[in-house]
Order: sequence, then structure tokens, then C-alpha cells
Amino acid sequence: MIKSLNQAFCILPGVGSKTAQRFIYYLLEHNREGGLALAKALTGAMEQVKHCGICRTLSEATACEICDNDKRDDSQLCIVETPADIHAIEQSGIYKGKYFVLGGYLSPIDGIGVAELGLDELNKMLSKQKIAEIILATNATAEGEVTAHYISNIAKQFDVQITRIAHGIPIGGELEYADINTIAHALSGRKNYD
Amino acid sequence: MIRAELIPAFLIHRRAFKNNSLLLDFLTKAHGKICLVGKGIRSSKTNIQMFQQLNISFSGRTNLKTLTHWEVNDQPRNMTGETLILAMYVNELIARLLSEQDPHPKLFNIYQQFVNKIVAIDKQTSYWLLRLFEHNLLAELGYALDCSQDIKQHNIDTNSHYEYQHQLGFVRNPAGKISGKLIGQLLLGSVDNMPDLEQLRNCRDLNRQRLNHLLGDKPLKSRELFFSKQ
Repeated sequence: MIKSLNQAFCILPGVGSKTAQRFIYYLLEHNREGGLALAKALTGAMEQVKHCGICRTLSEATACEICDNDKRDDSQLCIVETPADIHAIEQSGIYKGKYFVLGGYLSPIDGIGVAELGLDELNKMLSKQKIAEIILATNATAEGEVTAHYISNIAKQFDVQITRIAHGIPIGGELEYADINTIAHALSGRKNYD
Repeated sequence: MIRAELIPAFLIHRRAFKNNSLLLDFLTKAHGKICLVGKGIRSSKTNIQMFQQLNISFSGRTNLKTLTHWEVNDQPRNMTGETLILAMYVNELIARLLSEQDPHPKLFNIYQQFVNKIVAIDKQTSYWLLRLFEHNLLAELGYALDCSQDIKQHNIDTNSHYEYQHQLGFVRNPAGKISGKLIGQLLLGSVDNMPDLEQLRNCRDLNRQRLNHLLGDKPLKSRELFFSKQ
């Protein structure tokens, strides 16, 4: 039983056999209650968490909390690669619109094309709903950029403003240590200082 | 144990590996295409990027070696939109057609010229640059096409038309789509000496026919991306 638990823990990223062993001994010797609560929470989440029918993020309900919230701005749609990206943007607290999760990015070498990413759903969403602005918040990698470009081509058919998140020097970062591409982007995307 | 110190390389492809690492495919001058593990590189402050020349160091005993150090040895190149798709297509060709650790120093130079030029030219010229890259890539892989003579060993006549016969070469045919002029332009390999739109399309079909034979049943995903663009 311990062996199979060890193998089960090893599916987690960054957890090898040794770390799994430490987890198991801790739970069995010091915190059985916590272990049971973990098992229960994990079973519940694995069985009940699905994808939101609208934005495709992880959600227990058919529509996630954000899609279900009337106070959020329906006219803005932020397109992200993963549910973890929504979490990151939500933590900033600045965005009040809605989201759409792609579930990855276009990566031809890995065999991930247009069909694999389910961009048809986005197309349907844009044709059904009146959206004023699409914010392309895919990663600042070559694949993220290709994905943004492709989506912008889809969105151009509709009467919608298309924006891309800015790339630049991180807050608290020093210019000297920034890479040249970041500096080039930061310079070309500079804003008026007021 | 193989160790390489700061050798010129281009990143061709990256994919997530374990918690915080990346599997990186590089095109290098000395080792050809090589796959390395970049440990902990996913969360590092400076991100390793495609389409810029890097100097990389790596070491390892097994097939999968470890990237130990890298630095940028190039100017920033802002690739967006269609240019980026063309460049991704070239990367996919390299990923699919090159064998691991089979050195092609000439191809490295061809790739270097491609990324340098593609950002500085207009759309139509970029298509021609791409056709020349495909042509040179095939030659590097051992599938060179004789553009100076037809299969009967007569010199190519720039005023005639030809058709391509797979693995043999060009056959003179007045009804053929490929102009002798295009064949001459392929032989010359100059970006500035560009064919007209119709011949550019014929060149695309010619290269596609030659490439498809090597690619087999699995089509190129980036090609689909480019042509299904709305």
C-alpha cells in the first residue's frame, strides 16, 4: 500500500520517490487527519471540477464564478493560454472583464494546430456575443505570438478592437540585467509620460 | 563524456520538461541538431528565445545532454505575424528532416542568413527567400536538384518551359509550368533576383512535391496554420 502511494505521489511535478517517501511518513506518523482530509478534497475535486462551459477554465459549476458574475464587464474578453494565467491576472486585481482559456498554444512541431486548440469555439463565441475588445494575453514566446496572430485574424472578421498585453521591463527590475529583446520591446512600446 | 563550450547555435524548439525545465532543440554548427535539457530554465529571469544566435555550452554522457550555459550573441529581432509563421515553418522543417547530431555547418549559415533577411524584406520577397531556403535545405540533406541541366544533359534554356520528374530532374516540355528562367533563378540563389508571382507559386508547388516525399504521411502543421489563415 505504501509502495502504491509512493507511485501516486510521484505523478506530481517535481516530486520524486524520495520526496514522496517523506510525504508518506509525515502523513502516516504525524498527521493522519490531514491525510484523510487531503484524500477527500482530492477525490472531490477530481470528480467534480470540470471545464467552464463558457470560458473553459476549471470550474465546479457549468459556468465559472467569473462568467457567472454580472458585475464583470461582458464587452472585454481576455484570451489566455491556461487557467493558471487567469489566476495570475486576477491577482493583479486590475482586470474586470471576462476570459477565454485556450488550453495551450499553437505549436506546429508538437502537432498542436488550429483544430487541437479548439479555436472554433472562440469563433462561435465571437459571432454570438457582442464583444468590444479582445485582449490577447498569450505568453511572450514565439508560439504565444503566433497564437495571438492567428486569433487576431479570426477576430478581424468581427467588429472588435484587438489589443495585445504590453511586454517590457519588469517592475523592480534593473535595465542592466534585462535581456535585449525585452529592452527592444520596451523601447518600441514606450508611452507618453504624464 | 561530450563537452562543448560556447558554440554558435539557434533554438529551434522548446517544450516543457518536468517541473521547471525545458527540452530544447538547437541547430548548431558543429553538432547539427541537438536536444538538450535546460534545467530550471523555465523560471529563470532571462528567457531563451528562438530566431537569435546564441552561444551555448553543454555536457553529458547520454544522448540527452545538459545545457550548462548560454548567452545571446545577436541583435534583437522582432518577428511578428506572417514572418513569424514562415520562420516557425522553417523550424518545423529542420525539426522534422534533420537527424540528431548530424553536423551540417553550411545549413547553419543558410539558417542564419534566413533569419537575418526575413525581418528586413517585404511579403513577396519573403516567400522567395523561403523557397530558396527549402531548395538549399534539400541540397544539404543530399537531395540536390540539378538546375544547370535537364535530364538529357542539355543546358537549361531560360526561354523554354520544363516539368519536374521526381528524383530525376527537369524535362523540357512546352506545356510544362516551370519556366527555364525560374530554374536559372534557383541556380543563382539570389534573394534580389526574384521570379514573378506565377512562377513563385510554381516554385512553391515544386518544393512541396520534393519535400512531401521526405515528410511522408504526416503533414506540416505550420503549413496548415499558414494556409488556413482567415
